[in-house]
Amino acid sequence: MKLVLPWLRELVDLDAPVEEIAETLDMRGFEVASIEETMEGVAVIDVEITANRPDCLSVMGLAREVATAYNAPLGHLGPLAAPPLETVALRHVDSDQVGVALEDPALCPRYAAAIADVEIGPSPSWLAGRLHAAGLRPINNVVDVTNYVMLEVGHPMHAFDVNRLAGPELRIHTAGFGRQHRSGDYRGIRTLDGEMRRLADDVLVIADAGRPVAIAGVMGGADSEVSARTRTIAIESACFEPTSIRRSSRSLGLQTEASYRFERGADISAPVLALERACALLERIGAGRARGTVIDRYPSAAVPRRVVLREHRIRELLGAPVPSQEVTRVLEGLGFSIRSVGIRDRPAGQSEQWEIEIPTARMDVTREADLIEEVGRHHGYDRLPSSFPALKAVAPSPDPRIERARLLGRVMTGAGFSEATTFGFIEKDAALLFTDESELVAILNPLSEKFAVMRPSLLPGLIDSVAHNWRRGRKDVRLFEIGSRFVMSDAELRTIAFAWSGLAVPEHWSGSPRAVDFFDARGMVERIAQALGLAADRLSLGAGDRPFLVPGRSAAVRYGDGAQNADVELGIVGQLTPAIAERRGLPSAEPVYVGEIDIDRIAAFEARRGGIRVEPLPRYPSVVRDLSVVIDGTLPAAAVRGTIRAVAPPTLVAVREFARYQGKGIPEGSVSLSFRLTFQSRERTLTDVEVQEAFDLLVARLTEAHGARLR
Amino acid sequence: MHQPSMQQFMSDPAAINRLRAQFLAELAATSGEPALRGLRDRYLGRKSGAITALLKSVAAAPPDVRPTLGRLANELKGQIETALAERLATVEAPRHPADAVDVTLPGRDFPLGHRHPLTLLRERIEEIFTRMGYQGLEGPECEDDYHNYEALNMPPHHPARDMQDTLYLASPFNERYAVPGTGRRDAYAANLLRTHTSGMQIRYMETHAPPVRIIVPGRVYRRDNLDLTHTPMFTQIEGLVVDEGVTLADLKGTMAAFLGELFETDAKVRFRPSFFPYTEPSAEVLLGCIFCKGSGCGICKKTGWLEVAGSGMVHPALFERVGYDPERYTGFAFGMGVERIAIVKYGVDDIRMFYENDLRFLEQFGQ
Ligand SMILES: [Zn+2]
Repeated sequence: MKLVLPWLRELVDLDAPVEEIAETLDMRGFEVASIEETMEGVAVIDVEITANRPDCLSVMGLAREVATAYNAPLGHLGPLAAPPLETVALRHVDSDQVGVALEDPALCPRYAAAIADVEIGPSPSWLAGRLHAAGLRPINNVVDVTNYVMLEVGHPMHAFDVNRLAGPELRIHTAGFGRQHRSGDYRGIRTLDGEMRRLADDVLVIADAGRPVAIAGVMGGADSEVSARTRTIAIESACFEPTSIRRSSRSLGLQTEASYRFERGADISAPVLALERACALLERIGAGRARGTVIDRYPSAAVPRRVVLREHRIRELLGAPVPSQEVTRVLEGLGFSIRSVGIRDRPAGQSEQWEIEIPTARMDVTREADLIEEVGRHHGYDRLPSSFPALKAVAPSPDPRIERARLLGRVMTGAGFSEATTFGFIEKDAALLFTDESELVAILNPLSEKFAVMRPSLLPGLIDSVAHNWRRGRKDVRLFEIGSRFVMSDAELRTIAFAWSGLAVPEHWSGSPRAVDFFDARGMVERIAQALGLAADRLSLGAGDRPFLVPGRSAAVRYGDGAQNADVELGIVGQLTPAIAERRGLPSAEPVYVGEIDIDRIAAFEARRGGIRVEPLPRYPSVVRDLSVVIDGTLPAAAVRGTIRAVAPPTLVAVREFARYQGKGIPEGSVSLSFRLTFQSRERTLTDVEVQEAFDLLVARLTEAHGARLR
Repeated sequence: MHQPSMQQFMSDPAAINRLRAQFLAELAATSGEPALRGLRDRYLGRKSGAITALLKSVAAAPPDVRPTLGRLANELKGQIETALAERLATVEAPRHPADAVDVTLPGRDFPLGHRHPLTLLRERIEEIFTRMGYQGLEGPECEDDYHNYEALNMPPHHPARDMQDTLYLASPFNERYAVPGTGRRDAYAANLLRTHTSGMQIRYMETHAPPVRIIVPGRVYRRDNLDLTHTPMFTQIEGLVVDEGVTLADLKGTMAAFLGELFETDAKVRFRPSFFPYTEPSAEVLLGCIFCKGSGCGICKKTGWLEVAGSGMVHPALFERVGYDPERYTGFAFGMGVERIAIVKYGVDDIRMFYENDLRFLEQFGQ
């Protein structure tokens, strides 16, 4: 809303400089975007009006705020008229030269119209200048008057050329109603801007005898437009149901000064006043003369709301009392009427209470808290003290998801990974590389194809980020992200993912660098599991075909809860296929390893908080034996380890592969695998004999089960 | 080397002198660190050292000679300890040059990654509120219309819920809301991407009785183009406090304390009345510009103030909807955009930097 300062000064007699007035408005909830000056040197304050205050989309509404702020009288003080506003009194009649039929009072609770005889011409320069300063283009004296009144009192109006109506009547109903119940063409309308617009069934229109002549509350029709030849006009001043106007405006893709106001709510008491003001202005500028009558269709007159305001409640909400005189001064200044005053006995003493009548223009004020806001913002929030709410209980621990993310964030940076943030939605093609179409959570109205579906995995975003860094010459990239992924067959899942390209062992003068491989990536998965308190020996990696990972260099990550329940799949790890890497802008020859683990699935296994009980440290020495066996090259180490675990006595406390060798001395197709076995008892020192017996049993069993040969 | 014999000096001052002479002779003949340590063990070793044995034999000597012998034996022990320590100190100091390294060469690289600035800032904000007794919570990113809009006083076609801004899901998605403190996961059908974290106000109050003191960080989505200052996804932090006697002045104090901590400044905090459908009264939280100290600069658009959060007193209709008594309880809520604060705090001039994950950008932040 562009507030033209001389216009404001006409309604409030103030000497205050423009900057001060702007600051005053700003601190009462009317954010000032800028202060400008027109070429004629007129100051204009550009004010942002919040959606709850359509009454302030007018000079009068803002003048009321300014007058209250300065405790100055509101009136009409300018050269144009005597206070309050110059108007022409209109006599209510039931019919006139044009009949009005209100067919849909639900969508149009009030429709008023007045007839005037006019002579079309340009507006006087003062009027055109004001419209111009307020950001509106002057058109002709009649249209300019309706726009002037809209800016002044906030009520939009529309003028029809009576002689261009097909029959002397205005009917208010939906386009659908017209198609069903009336003869004529209700499919569309050519609007003032020259566009031919199709009308949906629920669009409210103003129609003459056989066609729509205006889209109610949005824009008039070109066929009944006021032109140089117009002699008689019907000025419409109505109230439309906000939701209906909003729907029309949306479905037609057409927002106007009128629709903007009507969809926020117009004052049901304003239509006749606005007409009387418009008629007075028409006469003043010599544009015409009103017939002196008004048709006012207003089937159920609004009864102003009353709300009780309690003094003690002001203090309870704001945190400081506001003196009674200040309360009544502010409310009356803003146009509220105090209907009665009462006293209530409260434990803390007596408290006044007021019954307040709400002006119909203030549709936003419906309950006590709304009145308290009015008092508070004019009393000034700067006057409020600063305090703290009393703390009466210990805050419970944060959401475990927050704690896990913090922990993992530090674990990952400790391993050299930097944290990425990628979008929650991605392009569909990228998503389809990672899941089936049926799993995609699609967005109905995406702004672009780049943001079409919710990510089924964090990997597409991470891979694109790796590619971004590659393009800028960074080849050793370690990135991770913690966030949600979305798949139809499951709810939103909190997940950690990482991507690793380039070197795992960086260049150093003391030795050779080494590129990342599967076991680096697997190590990260193990590290994540360990950080979250999972038992290393219950984590297993095995086949898990994913089309985006290289077979034989990838695995599904599973975890068993130690009970009879089957292992739960936590995620995947492995090398991204070169084809996908290339599609996302990475060189296909450079391996990129990725991993993704669903933290939400791990949550069920996490060690409970405070659940740690210290085990006494072992008192007897451990015995370490190395075992090297030659086995078939295709046999997974996990199978050999499983056999060892199965036959070993409970004194075998650790098994770890420490060497794997193929080549000289080992038959083709076989591999030598070395395990470090640690034996220990909590009760006694183990004897060499019993360790040897256990060792021999292991070797025998490995030979039997896997054809293993001791090396 | 020969083991000093015990019988020789049993309870005899002369024997003690002989032992001293023997030690001095051996010390003179010993060189090198390992040999010196061996000498020390033979004389001072706790199990079989000669001095240890001497002290034991003194303890067994007749009472009349015991004090004299004891004094002599302890004197000898001290003498031997000092002499050995001096010799060891001289041989331990210098190293053979063959073991030397060039200490000016770089060490092995154990790379350290960097946290994302948005996470760092988010955690910092959470931490400040945690110290004020808030519980950190997270909510689902896909919401239903009721929690994102209707329950927050935005019925269908309300001007504040512009269709342009909301991203809807093509078909309902089975979401789950993890009810804090219960282990329960309530299922519901989501039909949109949350446009703010305020839906968690309703979700939390629906499932918990007052008092309430929560802070809810999370990602939110808007149908906005990606450009210098806009992004279709950003991070929001929501706060909610409900109890008996909570006031707008409490909100003001809380915001001032929080901003003072976050920006490490005692800059002024001010409320500008504003409008949010779910708070009444509502206020924009303004922080005195930390760059120009209020005199007006490019960052504060010459106003001297930075908009950092939206806030207000919880609208009584929300309390009625979740079954709280609005006569008994009052509360405040606030919400802020992390990106917006990050732009100010870190001096980032293009919001897209936060989502490109360029290592040259990320590496400017800590752990
Ligand atoms: Zn500044």
